[in-house]
Formats: sequence, C-alpha cells, structure tokens
Amino acid sequence: MPPDHNLDDYVDAPAPHRHSPEGRPGPLRIGLGGPVGSGKTALAAALCRTLGPEYDLAVVTNDIYTTEDADFLRRNAVLPDDRIEAVQTGCCPHTAIRDDITANLDAVELLEARHPGLELVLVESGGDNLTASFSYGLVDVQVFVIDVAGGDKVPRKGGPGVTAADLLVVNKTDLAPLVGADLGVMRRDADAVRGGRPTLLVSLREDPSAAAVADWVREQIRARSVQPA
Amino acid sequence: MTAALLTLADSRLPAGGHTHSGGVEQAIAAGVVHDPATLTAFLRRRLHTAGAVAAGLAAAATALSSSGRHRGQVPFPVALSPASCSSGESPAPASSELVAALLSLDAEADARTPSPALRAASRQQGRGLVRVGRRAWPSPVWDALPERPHSPLALGVAAAVAGLTPRDAAAAAAYLSVSGPATAAQRLLAMDPLAVAALTARLAPEIDEVATADGVPAAADPLLDLLAEVHAARKDRFFAS
Amino acid sequence: MRTLVEVVACRGPGGRTVLPVVRAGGQYAVRRTGPGTVHLVATAFGPLGGDDVTVRLVVEEGARLCVRSVAAAVALPSRGAARPSVQRIRATVAGELDLAPEPTVVAARARHVAELEAELGPDGVLTAAEQVLLGRRGEEPGRWTGTTRVVRAGRPLLHTTVDLGPGAPAWLPPVAPRAYASTVHTGSDERPVATGEDAVRLPLPGGWTATAWGTELHRVAGAVAGLTAPERETA
Repeated sequence: MPPDHNLDDYVDAPAPHRHSPEGRPGPLRIGLGGPVGSGKTALAAALCRTLGPEYDLAVVTNDIYTTEDADFLRRNAVLPDDRIEAVQTGCCPHTAIRDDITANLDAVELLEARHPGLELVLVESGGDNLTASFSYGLVDVQVFVIDVAGGDKVPRKGGPGVTAADLLVVNKTDLAPLVGADLGVMRRDADAVRGGRPTLLVSLREDPSAAAVADWVREQIRARSVQPA
Repeated sequence: MTAALLTLADSRLPAGGHTHSGGVEQAIAAGVVHDPATLTAFLRRRLHTAGAVAAGLAAAATALSSSGRHRGQVPFPVALSPASCSSGESPAPASSELVAALLSLDAEADARTPSPALRAASRQQGRGLVRVGRRAWPSPVWDALPERPHSPLALGVAAAVAGLTPRDAAAAAAYLSVSGPATAAQRLLAMDPLAVAALTARLAPEIDEVATADGVPAAADPLLDLLAEVHAARKDRFFAS
Repeated sequence: MRTLVEVVACRGPGGRTVLPVVRAGGQYAVRRTGPGTVHLVATAFGPLGGDDVTVRLVVEEGARLCVRSVAAAVALPSRGAARPSVQRIRATVAGELDLAPEPTVVAARARHVAELEAELGPDGVLTAAEQVLLGRRGEEPGRWTGTTRVVRAGRPLLHTTVDLGPGAPAWLPPVAPRAYASTVHTGSDERPVATGEDAVRLPLPGGWTATAWGTELHRVAGAVAGLTAPERETA
C-alpha cells in the first residue's frame, strides 16, 4: 500500500439510510426471511395487527412471481394500501435482499417519503432456502422464520439465516406432535449455533398476535431510540 | 479504457439491473423469444434501438459532465472547469449550466422513450445507479442530475466522475442493453448459460458499432413499447420491466 | 430531382383560414381543395432514389391547415447508385395542422427516408398520420426509415426513428412487418396507454402517439383508427 494511503480512503462514512436528512432516526428496518411456507407473511400480518396501533409502520414484500403476499396483507386489511410496496426480484429473491438491494431500497425510500413519521418498516423476503440472509445495507435487524414442520434437524443444519439472524423464530409449534418434531431438540440445537442470540418458539395459529415477537420488536425500537448512532 | 469501465458494466454493480428484463419477460410470454436464435434476434433489435439511444445519451451525458478534454464530442456544449477524480483535480461544481444541460438531455431521453413503462424502468435504474455511483465516485457533479434521471444519464455521469470517456459510457450502455435481457432470458427459459454467454459474446462487434456511432439517435421499436406496456399491466411477473 | 413545397396558413377576416402562400415545384403540384385544405399532387413518377422533397408548412395562430395527397406515393429505386428518396416535412404550428397523406409504398430495392419535424407554439395542435407498405403486391419489401420529432415551445415531446425493411438492423423475424401506420397527436386530446394486437397507443403531453404494424396495410390502418377514434376510451 502506498504510504500516502490509509484504509480509511477505501471505506465509506456510515450508511446514510440510518438517519433521515433532518438527523431524526429513520424507521427501524426489520428483515423477515426464511424458507417458503414457514409463515413469514403470517408473521408480518400478525406484527402489523399487533404493532399497527402503536407504531407508524409499513411493509415491503418480495414475492418471487406475483404480488400475492402484498395482496394477502391488503385483503386482510392489516395495513392500508399505501403502506404496502411489492418489489419484483427478477427470479432471484435472494439477490434482491442481499447482493443488489436497489429495488428494496427504492421501496423503503418511497414508503419513507410517503409517510414521513414512519417508525418501522418490515421487509419480507421471498421464500428462499436456509442460506438466505439480508444485507445490513437494507435492514437494521433481521428475523429468520423456520417452522417445526420442516423437521427438527433444521436448527442443527444451521446456515446463515439460522445462525446469524438477530432473532430466530420457530413457527408452528402446535404441529410438533403431528410431525414428530422434538421442540426441546430444536431449542437446544438453535442455542448451540446462535452464540447467545435469541430464539422464540411460537405458534401463530395459537397466538395470532405474535406477542413474543412483537415484544422483541418493541425492544429493538426502544433500543434504537435511546442510542443515537 | 480503465477498470472503472469494467466496474460500470459489471452485472454485479448493485444498481438494480437484475430486476429488469429489458422486455424479454414479455417477449417470452408473447412467444417472440423461445430459444437461442430468437433470443439473439431480440437482443439485436434491442441493441440497435433502445441500446443505440442509451449509448448516445450516455456519451452525451459524459461529455457534458466531464473535463474539457471530452467536450465537443457531442452536440451539447457547456463550459465547465476540468473535473476528474482520477486526475486529482477538484471536480467540477454542479453549475446551473450543467443542471440545465442535463435537464434538457433528460427531456431528449423522454422524447425518445414515449412508453410510460419504459420511462419508469429507465428512471428506476437511473436512480439505482446514482445511489451506488455517489458512493463509489463521490462528486458534486451528481447533484446536477435530476432526482430520478433516465438511466443513460446516470451512467454518463458515473463514467465522467470515474474518469472515463464518452465512448466508454456508450460502450457500457450498449453492452448493458443486451447483457441484462440475456441474463433474464437465461433465468426465465432455463437456457444453457454457455449458449447465452456465446451468443452475447458474438454480438460484440455489433455492440462496438453501436457504441461508436455519432450523435444521439432516436431509433425506436414499437414492438418493445407494446411489450413493455402489456408487461407493466400484469400482476404475475418476475421482473420490474 | 429537388422539390420544394411551401404552404402558409393565416387567420383571415372573420376567423377564416386563408392561404397566402401555396407554392410547389419539381415533382409536386399543390391544389387548394377546400377552406384551409390543400392536396399534394405528384406530377412525376416516383419518388425515385435520389429525389429530395422538402415541404415547408407554416400555420399561424388561429389558422387551421389540412394537408392531404391525391394518391399513394410509390418510392422506386434509383437506377445508378443506391440513393434513398427523401421527403422532409418542416412544420411550424401556432394554429392547427392536420397532416394525412395517402400511403407510401416502398418498392423492392428502393429506400425511402421520411422526416417530420414539427415546431409547435404553446397552443399549437398537430395531428400527423403516416401509412407505409413495404413492396408492391407480390414484390420483395423496400426499406423505409421514418423520423418524427415534435417540439413544443423548445421542449421535445417525441423523437423517434422507425427503420423498416431489409437492412434495417432491428427489422428482424419473427417481427418484420410489411405494413406500418402511425398517427401522432398533440394539443387537444390527452389519452392514456392502450394496447391491441400489434398496436399500441402511448400518451404524450396533450395527446398521444398510436402505432400499428402487420402484414396488410388496411388492417394496420384499422388498428390505428381503433386506437384513435374519438369515442373510444381506453384500456
């Protein structure tokens, strides 16, 4: 390296999205990822219902082919139309949340411009595999959703979603007896690979308000508001 | 040519290009594209119309927003102080002259893009390119662009602030006009990636020809306009355009 | 052969349009065929490759000019070097211009270049239609290159070049039509996007541009008419 260069020349100032132009903290962006059918959209809907009355919030959906998830949220009237944006991912839902986040950033910025008081944006990924994770250029924290029906080996198999997500949600615990899954094993395996990061075992069927996950989200919003970055 | 050009034309550049198919998704739905031969025909018609226009606009934008040595290569002369990140000189300020010149070039892009769906796709990609370009090559010249510029204008400014020439910008624009749709077709039709790479590589002489043409052409393809509008009205699509 | 046609339309007494200048030479004559209406009449075979026609139209504020032609033009190849025939229309429109000549047929091996450049004032109204058929019956198609540039008060509204026929780089199977029709309107009737089979209408400020293509000219012209008929709404 030439002597008149130092590493700082190559590194950017902190990502600008974390603060709005006025210096006010922008909305907290939470990524919801996980395999197809694990309950991402159901969780997004539950969080909208539970947190909608408390926070100014919006959702970005990343369906692989249709606007089905966005339509589901609209149909269930958990959020007004102008708080839901669907992005097309060009056959690569994974690319859109990790490698080239442009379309999602556009959607988030559009929602921010439309709702200047926005406090929370949920970015729901298209269903993908266990290696899918969000870029921290797009979200502040991420939740990975798996389900019991996928088998109790999933936490042990790991993958970036399971090991590194800020919150792991194991959904459909009500199905455990039916599919012969051992919730104790899932909890233990998850704790073993997650280095102390939290895991929540939930059943959105039994608790449609997703109370435990909503509490975790509230905590994230609180933590951010007391800690100016 | 510098490595900056390779960066600009790299499909890994996170500017949102991977969510656009350049019309190929609808061309497949309409039965116009279904194999390597029909894909080649589609890419050629796109290259010689939208690609040629993008190349001309990108070159013009570079000439406007870079230092004196490239000026006069296209008919949009404005006076600017020399600017180049690579030369170590201070970049040109976003003069009101440059703002006006880029705005009028943006209007020329609109006039050559009457399809609202294609305009939206171009401006969406332009915005994505500005977002990554500002970070990669910081310069006050970015401030001279309209908020959501047509994509070739953003590409032209990126080339200028990266120290590239108008010809470089045109080459990137012409190449991107086929590389994006080629990749999209590969994904949608599960085509042999080697076949797609080969047919794209064989277009190189035509891409070079388009990239070295003079002026800002207005070549239009009403078929691409129609495909874009039908596509935009669909709800079941993988790609934004 | 070089040809210059000039027509100037002004608002005369009582608001009626008068045509103080109606001039033509070369391969065209111009006839006044109604109040504010002229017909172009070809006085020679062609156009042939190498022929060059300029039509200058000025429509002043408050005037309305209709330009028609009496018969289809058949563009034929030049005998020597392969030069195109060129027809340039330069219009300055503060009033209202309605331009709808009969179709241009481009014979095998012929190359025809058509340009329309319209400079509109703030209240100018333009309707310009063109119909093209590549090749006479049973003949190989010729090549037609048409450029339209419409500018209002210094701002370009539309600038497109459509290049059809053998040798045109984007005229490729499976979509290489022999017949093409297009109408552009701006000034009084803004319309949204509409799509049809091989036909599309796109919005312009205060207007639209409608284009259709296919094998037979009468069908293509019908498709454009379907997209531009006043009573028809939308898509």
